[in-house]
Amino acid sequence: MSTSIDLLQGTLDVLILQTLSLEPMHGWGVAQRIQQVSKDALQIGQGSLYPALYRLEYKGWIKAEWGNSENNRRAKFYRLTAAGRRQLESELETWDRLSTAIGLVLGRTVEASR
Amino acid sequence: MIRELLTRIRFLMFRKKRSEFDDELRFHLERSIAVKVAAGLPAGEARRQAMIEFGGVQAAREECERQRPGWWLGTVAQDIRYAVRGILAHRWFSAAIMATLALGIGLNTMVFTLVNAVLYKPVSVPGGDRLVCIGNRLLSRDDSNVPLSYPDFHDYRAQTASFESFEAIDDGGGILSESGNPPHRYHVARATAGLFAMVHTKALLGRAFLPADDHAGAEPALVLSYNVWQERYAGLSSVIGRSVRVNGKAATIIGVMPKDFRFPSGVDLWMPLIPTPDLAKRDNRQLRGYAILKPGITLHQANAELGGIAGRLARQFPDDKDLGVSVLTFQQRFNGGNIRIVFLMMLAAVGFVLLIACADVANMTLSRALSRQREMSIRTALGATRGRLIRQLLIESTMLSTGGGVLGMGLAEAGIHWFDLSTQTIRPSWIEFTMDFTVFGYFAALCIVSGLLFGIAPALRSSKPDLAGVLKEGAHSVGRRRGGWLSAGLVVFQFALTLVLLSGAGLFVRALLNSLSINPFVPTTQLTMASLQLPDSRYKDSDARQRFYDQLLPRLRELPGVAHAAITSDGPGLGANRHQIELEHAPIANPAQRPGIAYVVQSPGYLEAIHLPLLEGRDFNDIDGTARHEAAIVTRDAAMRLWPGQNPMGKRFRLYDDKNKASDWITVVGISADLMQEIQENNPRPLLFVPYRQEGSDNMAVVVESTADPLQAMRTTVQSLDPELPLNDPSRMKDALERQTWFLRVFGRIFLGFALIAMLMASVGIYAVIAHATNSRTQEIGVRLALGATMRNVLLLVMKRGLWQIGAGLMLGLGAALPFTHLMASLPFGMARSDASIFLIVALGLASVGLFACWLPARRAAGLDPAKAIRYE
Repeated sequence: MSTSIDLLQGTLDVLILQTLSLEPMHGWGVAQRIQQVSKDALQIGQGSLYPALYRLEYKGWIKAEWGNSENNRRAKFYRLTAAGRRQLESELETWDRLSTAIGLVLGRTVEASR
Repeated sequence: MIRELLTRIRFLMFRKKRSEFDDELRFHLERSIAVKVAAGLPAGEARRQAMIEFGGVQAAREECERQRPGWWLGTVAQDIRYAVRGILAHRWFSAAIMATLALGIGLNTMVFTLVNAVLYKPVSVPGGDRLVCIGNRLLSRDDSNVPLSYPDFHDYRAQTASFESFEAIDDGGGILSESGNPPHRYHVARATAGLFAMVHTKALLGRAFLPADDHAGAEPALVLSYNVWQERYAGLSSVIGRSVRVNGKAATIIGVMPKDFRFPSGVDLWMPLIPTPDLAKRDNRQLRGYAILKPGITLHQANAELGGIAGRLARQFPDDKDLGVSVLTFQQRFNGGNIRIVFLMMLAAVGFVLLIACADVANMTLSRALSRQREMSIRTALGATRGRLIRQLLIESTMLSTGGGVLGMGLAEAGIHWFDLSTQTIRPSWIEFTMDFTVFGYFAALCIVSGLLFGIAPALRSSKPDLAGVLKEGAHSVGRRRGGWLSAGLVVFQFALTLVLLSGAGLFVRALLNSLSINPFVPTTQLTMASLQLPDSRYKDSDARQRFYDQLLPRLRELPGVAHAAITSDGPGLGANRHQIELEHAPIANPAQRPGIAYVVQSPGYLEAIHLPLLEGRDFNDIDGTARHEAAIVTRDAAMRLWPGQNPMGKRFRLYDDKNKASDWITVVGISADLMQEIQENNPRPLLFVPYRQEGSDNMAVVVESTADPLQAMRTTVQSLDPELPLNDPSRMKDALERQTWFLRVFGRIFLGFALIAMLMASVGIYAVIAHATNSRTQEIGVRLALGATMRNVLLLVMKRGLWQIGAGLMLGLGAALPFTHLMASLPFGMARSDASIFLIVALGLASVGLFACWLPARRAAGLDPAKAIRYE
């Protein structure tokens, strides 16, 4: 936990989209998944997770539906829409270009992650 | 993309339910707690930590709400509700603000309506926004007011492609006569046959022109305007087909036009323009062109195209050398120059009034801002951002200004109605003082802009309170210094603007007083004037006209009640002709250096009729003015200016007309007292009287002094000599003089009204500021009184601030008023010249009103009971 990194401005959205691209998930799940995948390096501020989810929903990139959770409780599941998938692709592309460019400037050889 | 937009719109309309977030949050926390419990924490502690991890629940909820597109609309509605509550809660305060703004916005809307009608609004005929006036332009002298000739008009019309239709009019007077109806002179427009079709107007009765009506040899047709039909023919439909005479020539009435149709301006009768040999001459210029531009063609393009045609004609015909074309809108053609300046000046004046009103309201709001600081602090403490506070305050001020504006609209309507009535007789008939969409747009912009204008300073100030300080100490002395400077500046600004307005009004009042006191010896209520236009056809030369007058005057003098009768070119105070003068033994070769004089042509007995005393010499007799008996009477003023230090009796001079042709030598036979003849003139010229036989024209006025109304008897007498001769423009001298000064009276009243309103507002403004400042110093004044300050000390203490504000305002105002009044005085409407006395009177008046406004709160402060004042909270 002490090794957590501050998120770059605007990266939370793409993390959420990426996470949701695997399967529909509720807010808690998204937070947990990001934490796990990043090996606890990325701590999602829970106070900012929900506004981000709402924002993405208002933009039409994800869609919310009420459903039952693993332990059979009512939970709100978010799922990527077609528009969201397109958005994710374009953001990943941007991210690749950006990280390659920064890597070059900083003298690191970075292999494109995707 | 579209899908995204649709999603947004859906959320814009259907908000998410609040409970949705709560459910989601509950689920989140449950999971969080469950994880912590599983890790071995006790339930209570797990819950506590989960809450801490999550952070501010309320903040997150608001943040989620804020993601919604258009979420702020809801808060605007909230702000509006809040503003309405605030406005209603402070009813009197709000009413005062709205009343002040109603005056400001109302006056502006009114004047803008007038300016719009006079300078911009299209003439109200179909296609009026594309209607233009076409004339020739002298290229060498840049005179764009030259009429067209008939052949030129035809060539332009045949070659141009810019217009939907293009017609020409010969404007003039004409005498309508028939048996059993006295002859009457009317405004007759001889127009090409397409005139009515051009403006898409059909006859109310009978028919308008047909295309063949203006062909050579066509039956002369006559179309009546509605007013002539009503007044002369009592609205009888049997007039159609009636034979009448116009200027002695037969014509047939074929139609009556609808009510208020006087196109192009003030026309009584229309006749087809039938070509005559005289009209066919290319140098006979007496037509005005009117045309409708094709859609999409600009004034500029039309000018360029016609300019090219005129250039070709100029090469082809010597008569067209040096001639260009000017295509102008009605407003440019008729309302340029001084009228434009006067109306724009009026707009500037009411702009000042509105600024003063806004400053007033800003000051009122500022003083209230102090007492609102608690409210603002509480809202800030509860989490309102500064932007939100400013927005809320601006919404409040804009609502107040809109409310005031709506009230002002009623005021504007009344003002426009008054102005319409006051100018009915002199304004051109095509100007209609009504509101249109432009005016409404201006009105709406005024409401919003003035709301922002008076709201912005107080909003900026009161939205930035010292939070802790205000909550702790209460609203007293906080921020007094800064607010003090702001409102003091506003007061200075108000006084400066008011002084400018008052100086302008002062000029008008002065000119009006001058005009009332001129020529006190003239019995204006007993003089009746009417002009006689002796037509060439029956009165071939000066002798024939003289014979007519020689028969007429004795008959008029015999009428019962008539004391004097005479003829003159211009009644007293009604203007004069002008010539250049050269005195005997002092030749001046260069015409530009010859002094100008004004002269009035008259019959013997005129000076007696207007009661102008003869100081020396004699009145004209019947021989004066005949060959070798050229004579003149000069006023004392003219005598002193033309022959300084000499007796002018028997001196000789000669006059030069426009064509630089000299008259015979004229001898001075008499000296009269002074007469103000050119009252609209800023620099009147020396005035001479010359006998009718010398300078007579075919258009003279009969002046009759009578105790009763002699008009009917005059008409009978004239028509017993010539049954076809009407009395034109008969009026009492008093009314004729008032028409000369209508400009001063109407605009004088307007400017005086503006200035007085401005002064009232400025006084209320300074009163409010001083009273408020005094109020918040009540304790201090109480202490001073208790420690032995005298009444005078306290008066000075309170008034000192007001004194320097008034002083600074007056100084600034004087600086601004000088160029403003200079501009006004240069207008040729008989304005008074600006002089120091006007500024002095106006400044003194304004200063005393301002001082009185300061003295009221000061006196109250000085009369305070120290024991009570110290405890004042």
